[in-house]
Amino acid sequence: MGYFAKLFSGSKSLVSGMGVTLKELVGTTAQHKAVTLQYPKEKPVLAPAYRSAIKLIRFEETNSHDCVACKACERICPSFCIKLDGGKVEGIKKKRVQTFEMDFALCSLCGLCLDVCPTATLEYSKAYDEAGYNRDWRVDLVAEFRDYEEEFIRKQRAIEEAAAAEKALKAEQAKAAKEKAAKAKAAKEAAAKDAAPKDDAAPKAAKEDAAPKDASGANDGHTDAEDKS
Amino acid sequence: MSQSITDYAPQTITELVGNPWLAMPMAAGIIMGALTVNVLMLVWAERKVSAWIQRRMGPTEVGPYGLLQTLADMLKLISKQLITPANIDKPLYHLAPLMAFAPVVGAVALFPVSRDYVLLDNDLGLLFVFALGGMAVIAIFMAGWGSNNKYALLGAVRSVAQNISYEIPLILSALSVVLVVNAMGGSTASGLNLSHIAWVQSHEHVWFILLQPLAAIIYFISALAETNRAPFDIPEAESELVAGFHTEYSGMRFSLFFFSEYTNMLIVSMLAVVLFLGGWDGPLLPGPAWFFLKSYALIFVMMWVRWTFPRLRFDQLMTFCWTVLIPLSILNLLATALAISVL
Amino acid sequence: MTNPPRELSPSTEGELYTLNMGPQHPSMHGVLRLVLQLRGEQIVNAKPVIGYSHRAHEKMAENRSALQFLPNSSRIDYLSGMIYNLGYCQAVEKILQIEVPDRAVHIRIIAAELNRISSHLLWFGTFLLDLGGITPFLYSFDDREQILDILDSVTGSRLTYCYGRFGGVTRDVDDEFLERSTAFIKLLRTRLLMYKRLVTDNVILRERCIGVGVISKDTAFRFDVTGPSLRASGVAYDVRKAEPYGGYDRFDFEVPTEEDGDTMSRFHVRIREIEQSCRLIEQAIASMPEGDILPKKMPKRFQIPKGEFYFACESARGHFGIYMVGDGSDIPFKMKLRTPSFSNLSAMPETLRGTMLADTIAIVGGIDIVMPEIDR
Repeated sequence: MGYFAKLFSGSKSLVSGMGVTLKELVGTTAQHKAVTLQYPKEKPVLAPAYRSAIKLIRFEETNSHDCVACKACERICPSFCIKLDGGKVEGIKKKRVQTFEMDFALCSLCGLCLDVCPTATLEYSKAYDEAGYNRDWRVDLVAEFRDYEEEFIRKQRAIEEAAAAEKALKAEQAKAAKEKAAKAKAAKEAAAKDAAPKDDAAPKAAKEDAAPKDASGANDGHTDAEDKS
Repeated sequence: MSQSITDYAPQTITELVGNPWLAMPMAAGIIMGALTVNVLMLVWAERKVSAWIQRRMGPTEVGPYGLLQTLADMLKLISKQLITPANIDKPLYHLAPLMAFAPVVGAVALFPVSRDYVLLDNDLGLLFVFALGGMAVIAIFMAGWGSNNKYALLGAVRSVAQNISYEIPLILSALSVVLVVNAMGGSTASGLNLSHIAWVQSHEHVWFILLQPLAAIIYFISALAETNRAPFDIPEAESELVAGFHTEYSGMRFSLFFFSEYTNMLIVSMLAVVLFLGGWDGPLLPGPAWFFLKSYALIFVMMWVRWTFPRLRFDQLMTFCWTVLIPLSILNLLATALAISVL
Repeated sequence: MTNPPRELSPSTEGELYTLNMGPQHPSMHGVLRLVLQLRGEQIVNAKPVIGYSHRAHEKMAENRSALQFLPNSSRIDYLSGMIYNLGYCQAVEKILQIEVPDRAVHIRIIAAELNRISSHLLWFGTFLLDLGGITPFLYSFDDREQILDILDSVTGSRLTYCYGRFGGVTRDVDDEFLERSTAFIKLLRTRLLMYKRLVTDNVILRERCIGVGVISKDTAFRFDVTGPSLRASGVAYDVRKAEPYGGYDRFDFEVPTEEDGDTMSRFHVRIREIEQSCRLIEQAIASMPEGDILPKKMPKRFQIPKGEFYFACESARGHFGIYMVGDGSDIPFKMKLRTPSFSNLSAMPETLRGTMLADTIAIVGGIDIVMPEIDR
């Protein structure tokens, strides 16, 4: 390329570059299209998926969390930032967590604890602007639930008692049905052989009724309880 | 325009006040006050322009539109501890900021802000401005050498080579204007007197950018290099040399360098206005308004250039100067001389 | 050619002096330290010193289960965390032969390519910043910010995604995510035109880059340079094509190469790779199937069987390899990470010899290194 051709093309590229910046300048001033978020004055809109430190979910039905202190999260945590303690509570079947100590300074927000939680009682909080004055930043996640704990246990006990009563009732009914069926069967056996299918249906239905109560997680138990109370 | 072209003489402050012992402190006061305000506004403007170019907002917090931000920064710099590194060359290190600061203040006095008044009327004004501008190199080299820092030294070495090289096209392009002024202005007008240069343009109704477009472009590019502005900010290239020659300066010492850099911007812009854009000449508005309007428009272009381009490499910078600017400016000077002698 | 290959000046006049560049230096990309021996401004010898951000990821991998290493994976290279995270998942999937559902494959490709674009945009910005152009840096960060927002909306994080799980991903994408990605690609194409006018065509940038820091094909092979830096030397090696993984063989894309091996070629290769990534994302969005994001049947524990395993993926900087030795437990016996920046950096002393100080910045900036990835 010749000396002057090079000078010319070089200058042209410089001018076109300046055109770009001028356009942006006019865009920012005339159209008010600055991209800055004036942070403390405007708050960022957090995505629903936003991951911050974990917290215990407050379920609407029980007004409490559902942590059963299984320690799965404590075991899976790669940062060793969860320390929890809990155990059997007088009067209810499920274990309850007593302290759920989280070291926010260590948490790497990987979400493995959410994956392993059997009762799905953990979720990400949306606290993006937490700050502390020292490195030791332990927070007891159960703290906010303590005031409701007694109430929760009372309710839960009532629910369990109700459930037990119902179960007992069901069992009784089932027993009665069974007896009835057995009686009928005996009667049928005595009478004729082809009446059996009709009577068999009753005990089966009773069994299905009872089944979810035994197998379901605590969650379903609560919903049932809510309906009752 | 009743005055003839030859008997133009603006009033200086000494003539106005009458007593030189009173006039000189007054002039110094005016200059210092004006320059301080100028630097504060320029830094603010630079930050705003860069912000707008980059789709940001710039300073918004201190004062309306963040106008007082630089004042707050200045107060911060003044109140900061002056850190003196170990094993420095003490006299050089301490003198350098003052050396950078003093000449730029002196040069401002010569500029004809309006048709009728000038602080200092000197028939060698242009030379004086260039001479003072040349002293900035010494200050930068003193700072770089005295700091006992390799980055600072590299910056200083680069700066010396760059400023001395770019002074050649700068002065050559100004010289072609001087030739034109001498040719047009008659025997009594001095082509080196800044007031006269502006006066001739106004009187003949022609700005020299029209007569000397090449010289104007060369002047502007060299001026960018003289003031160490991007894309020629090689002495302080922060991505290479951390902060170049002022790496080891802090607080008020640093702000003196800063002050001189921004005042230098104003000086080269004002000089460009005088040389090529008719000085205070312009319709409707009063002279000083036109003068500063043009100066700040040029400063805006300098900022615009800075926030658009990447930085040149040092050897490319020198190649550009010696193979493009200097030959072109010499050619331009020769052509001007030829044209004047023929016409 | 504006910058003829520079010979080391034969003159022995003048003292050599040593300049420590970094670990604290505005353009050393984190904590790289270059010990430069200079004569004037010319570099006689350059020695990279690394290890300032060593975090022992490889050792950590030997002390925790394969699953627990997941959050580490995106922290090896925080600028293309998604690629590393998904790459690690794919390595374990390869070892345990876990089948990934189709939808997850597509989501992974979109996420990884978005991440690749964001990494290249960040490189673009910081490279220009190294050369003194501050404005393009902010423009590219503006664009990158939008990618981060898009990825944030599905992964919940901006850099250390931890989005992949063995067998799939943690969270399904919605239509809004796909729409935003499509819109972003459309925007990015106009922005690339703008970058061309502002940066690529700029005479100063061309002067700074053309012929500077030439890595020949031979040198590249000797130092095991990979990624865009290798492709700029004229070798069309891309793990996504050479050993297709994670469903890349189902999509149509090119491997851009340049012949000169200089900084400008590396620049062009990266810009063209952004375009190819856009194409990949578009294809993946167009053919996005319905379905699960995690396999129905998953092993309860991820036990690494006895033996040695190697998996490679193409990160934004090159060939990222995971070498794992298992002993039957769910904790790997040994894990070695082959990170591309390390090899790319090792070619630097030879490339830097004889260049100017200012070139050092351009060259080191141009190969796109990430220090935490080198130090691991």
